[in-house]
Amino acid sequence: MELEKEIFKDGMPKGYYTQNDNRKYVLDTNHCWSEEVCVAAIVSEVRANIENARKEVIAGLKSPLCYHMAVRQMDVKFLARAAGIAVFRVKRHMRPEIFAKLKSSVLDRYAVALAVTPEELKTVPDSEA
Amino acid sequence: MTTELAANGKPFVHNHGAHCETAVTSALFRYQGLDISEPMIFGIGSGIFFGYLPSVKLVHLQVTAFRNRPGTVFRKAAQRLGANLVIKTYRDPQKGMNELRQVLKAGHIVGLATNLYWLPYVSERHRHNFGGHNIIALREIEGGFRISDPTFGDPVDCSAEGLERARFVPGPMNPRGFMYYTKSINPHPDLRRACIKGMKNSCGLMLRIPLPIFGVRGMRFLAKRIVKSEVKLGFQEACRHLAGTVRWVEETGTGGAGFRYMYAAFIQEASELFGSEDLVRLSRDMTAIGDTWREFSVMSARIIKKRNRPEATFANAGGLILKCADLEEAFFRDLQKVVKKLKA
Repeated sequence: MELEKEIFKDGMPKGYYTQNDNRKYVLDTNHCWSEEVCVAAIVSEVRANIENARKEVIAGLKSPLCYHMAVRQMDVKFLARAAGIAVFRVKRHMRPEIFAKLKSSVLDRYAVALAVTPEELKTVPDSEA
Repeated sequence: MTTELAANGKPFVHNHGAHCETAVTSALFRYQGLDISEPMIFGIGSGIFFGYLPSVKLVHLQVTAFRNRPGTVFRKAAQRLGANLVIKTYRDPQKGMNELRQVLKAGHIVGLATNLYWLPYVSERHRHNFGGHNIIALREIEGGFRISDPTFGDPVDCSAEGLERARFVPGPMNPRGFMYYTKSINPHPDLRRACIKGMKNSCGLMLRIPLPIFGVRGMRFLAKRIVKSEVKLGFQEACRHLAGTVRWVEETGTGGAGFRYMYAAFIQEASELFGSEDLVRLSRDMTAIGDTWREFSVMSARIIKKRNRPEATFANAGGLILKCADLEEAFFRDLQKVVKKLKA
């Protein structure tokens, strides 16, 4: 798979303990194949989540808040605690018609929690990032 | 290994490490003149552990911990080695950053807890919301800080805004600006006594916690869950959970096989310190346990990749964890007996 090789070619290898020829433990940067597989599975899942959210926003099913939450790898509970807004309200704000009527004070709180500007929060990128 | 200068011009040697917390602790001690390796800190601080937390979820996936809670390894190691530390958290980000600058100017190097997602220099595969990634700030540079992140090979630059965000990100994964530095340190600590304390503590943690989710009991609990997961959750979902588990075994800075190789390295070093044949044998046993964990992760990867090997099933993967649990129970019971014979 290309994704596995690609995400591991970032020039940031981690250290692993392996035994050398004298059975002494030394630090090495060779990772195990299983790590590639599971990290690739998780990264591709995150990417798919973001892309799904973006499509749903464009189709008018979800509010842009949903997309920005996916980008930051959060879930509703996480975002609710980060923004200091109750979970049921965050869930309501995922609906586009309710999100459109939000006061700027609420939007600001989401903007701080997600580290985007309030203008960015109302839009999603047109093409896949 | 690269040499960097701290704020007062004292050289700091950046060593590549496997795990953030132990590597940062050993780097802080080495900077103060106590040459101690990363596995040694891991063993003395009783880092090895197992816990499966089904109710705690990090972005839809359960937490499987192979080491003690963040912060404890470093605290225990410091206590057992007789180091005098300053540990601080902050509510106000501005105050936290100002104090960091002051402490750096005073010539200390500072350990910081940060949220891994928000560190500007990490790449996509390391990015997830985890609020206990430890780094060292070396000195202030123009517009940011010089950072030594021992998980990665070389020191890096980090912008001030990025670091502030990573230290004070709102939400459940907020490190609250956790920072620590050494005030003074015992240059000739009693390593043998510290090792014995660490080993005894580890045995207790692995064998004696009367809850089904910690220690060897936790492993058996996880094994049962994995065996049942295919029927209970469906193949796709079960694979997701399995990938999450394997990530905790191999990826999250464990030094391979869920810290088991690192602990074997510690026992090996301790065997030289004590000159004990028993510890040499135990180090070999620990390596065998590590190999079994690795076998589990490789088998899980085969399941996830659908390699159509007849032996790669959820039942077998669970069976391997059960085998690990039996091996580890025997190992720690053995260690308990050996430690009693060691002389401080």
